[in-house]
Amino acid sequence: MNHNPQSSDGKHDDDSALSDFLASLMDYAPTIPDELVEHYLAKSGFQCPDVRLIRLVAVATQKFVAEVASDALQHCKARQAAVVKDKREKQQKVIYLCLLSFLISFGLSDPLLEQDKRLILTMDDLSKSLREVGIEISTLPLFLYFSTCFSIYDQIASIYVLSYIVDCLSSL
Amino acid sequence: MNNGCLENRKKEHDNSQKRPKSYKFGSKSDDFALAIAKVAVAQLCESVGFQGFHLSALETLSDISVRYIYSIGKTANLSANLAGRLEGNVFDIIHGLEDLGSNLGFSGASDVDRCVVSSGVVKDITQFVGVSDFIPFAYDVPGFPVVKESTKTGSFWEKGEDPPGEHIPSWLPAFPDPETYATQLSVENETMGVSNGKKTESELERVERKMDRSLLNLQLRFAHNENKGGSSHGSGYVATESNPYLAAPLHVGEKEVSPVVLPTKLSNEVALRNPVHVDVGNHVSVLQTFAPAIEAMKSGLCDSDNGKKKLLYDQRPTVRFKIGIVKKSLGTVSDFDSQNEEDLLKIASWFGNDNEKADKKRRVEKIMKESVESARNKIQL
Repeated sequence: MNHNPQSSDGKHDDDSALSDFLASLMDYAPTIPDELVEHYLAKSGFQCPDVRLIRLVAVATQKFVAEVASDALQHCKARQAAVVKDKREKQQKVIYLCLLSFLISFGLSDPLLEQDKRLILTMDDLSKSLREVGIEISTLPLFLYFSTCFSIYDQIASIYVLSYIVDCLSSL
Repeated sequence: MNNGCLENRKKEHDNSQKRPKSYKFGSKSDDFALAIAKVAVAQLCESVGFQGFHLSALETLSDISVRYIYSIGKTANLSANLAGRLEGNVFDIIHGLEDLGSNLGFSGASDVDRCVVSSGVVKDITQFVGVSDFIPFAYDVPGFPVVKESTKTGSFWEKGEDPPGEHIPSWLPAFPDPETYATQLSVENETMGVSNGKKTESELERVERKMDRSLLNLQLRFAHNENKGGSSHGSGYVATESNPYLAAPLHVGEKEVSPVVLPTKLSNEVALRNPVHVDVGNHVSVLQTFAPAIEAMKSGLCDSDNGKKKLLYDQRPTVRFKIGIVKKSLGTVSDFDSQNEEDLLKIASWFGNDNEKADKKRRVEKIMKESVESARNKIQL
């Protein structure tokens, strides 16, 4: 048995650290409201009148969400950095011009010209960052969504075009 | 990030979305909590550095965070119950956090004999609290779910009354005020008072009694009128015509068409040529006997059998089949009359008078079918 030799002082320190931390939670109001946490804890069957414990769960959830979000932010930044590199190359391609005319006929704008420089939380980044935490989310492909909008002949044509758009947009 | 905009978008989304009822976190009662979670997660995303979000991503993240809370609670509750406690404490929650973070790993996770107090998870959280900015939630959240308090009647004992009979124990719920239910009681009291000849009651009490009695009379009269009205008008079909809630539902793409005059006319003719029902022993006039069936047809009571045909019939302009039916249905009705009269009588005797209505309905339906078919034929021609 790999016994961890821990002095009674150390234990006492941990004890006091934990109680100090819990006491500090009395003053700290997490972003996730107590009522929400209380509601879902009650839903799960956990009952405790102590506000500090509810705050502890709220802080833990906040930490989890913040970690996932910051991970997604890194993905987003990396993606945007990659786009700038081959933006020039793409704009010169003939097939991009074809895609552009198609998009304009649909009332959309040039995705490369009007590149959204803002950092936006997308499903793509989120699913990547959640996968690292151990949560798999699968999203519906875009052309399946579009297939509900058009007739069957349009669909056959649009699947080819849209699959290219999806490829193009996902690499942006 | 604009929270007002978020809410608007959320509302639109909620309107368009229809979730299955069994879905634990997406039930209708959970919408409020999920909306709050969305706002909180959006605030967190903003604090991390995001400038915008896709709604789908935000919803996914808020859903996951809510599930995170739920599973912490579940594990904590489990460990509390395992220790023989009803209420959880810090260690249960830490255990739940460690359980959830076990696939990611935390400092000291490999140590078997570690103390829960010095858990790496708690240290991480403490560090996070020290580092992260303080962002209060954007709104004041009221306590939810709101539980409505039910008003209790209270027992005899609670009200401080003595139960009216000795056999009634005082812990039973008290009776309502006697004015609300006693019709017999007041009258009896009155007669008793008169017969005894004692004018012991004060003037006030008598006035009160009078008022009570007049109120009761009024109520009785109302009740009587209602019954009378119901019987004189035959049935509720008048209500079905006037009341839009009792009318048959319209199908998609179907337009509300004003009730057609033809069926009444037609069925009058049918009735004149078909006096079988009068013979059966019902001495009501023919028109009256048919009236319910006709009205039933109008209001769509026979929809269950030929709903589609009814739909067609409503959609077509009235003139089109008006021409066709009169001839055809008359012919068939005469056939009906001569051939099947005995059979019908037999059937009627089998089922008794109660099934007369159904019989009528069947006939009207037949006429309807014919009319629709003839209309179709006309169109084909």
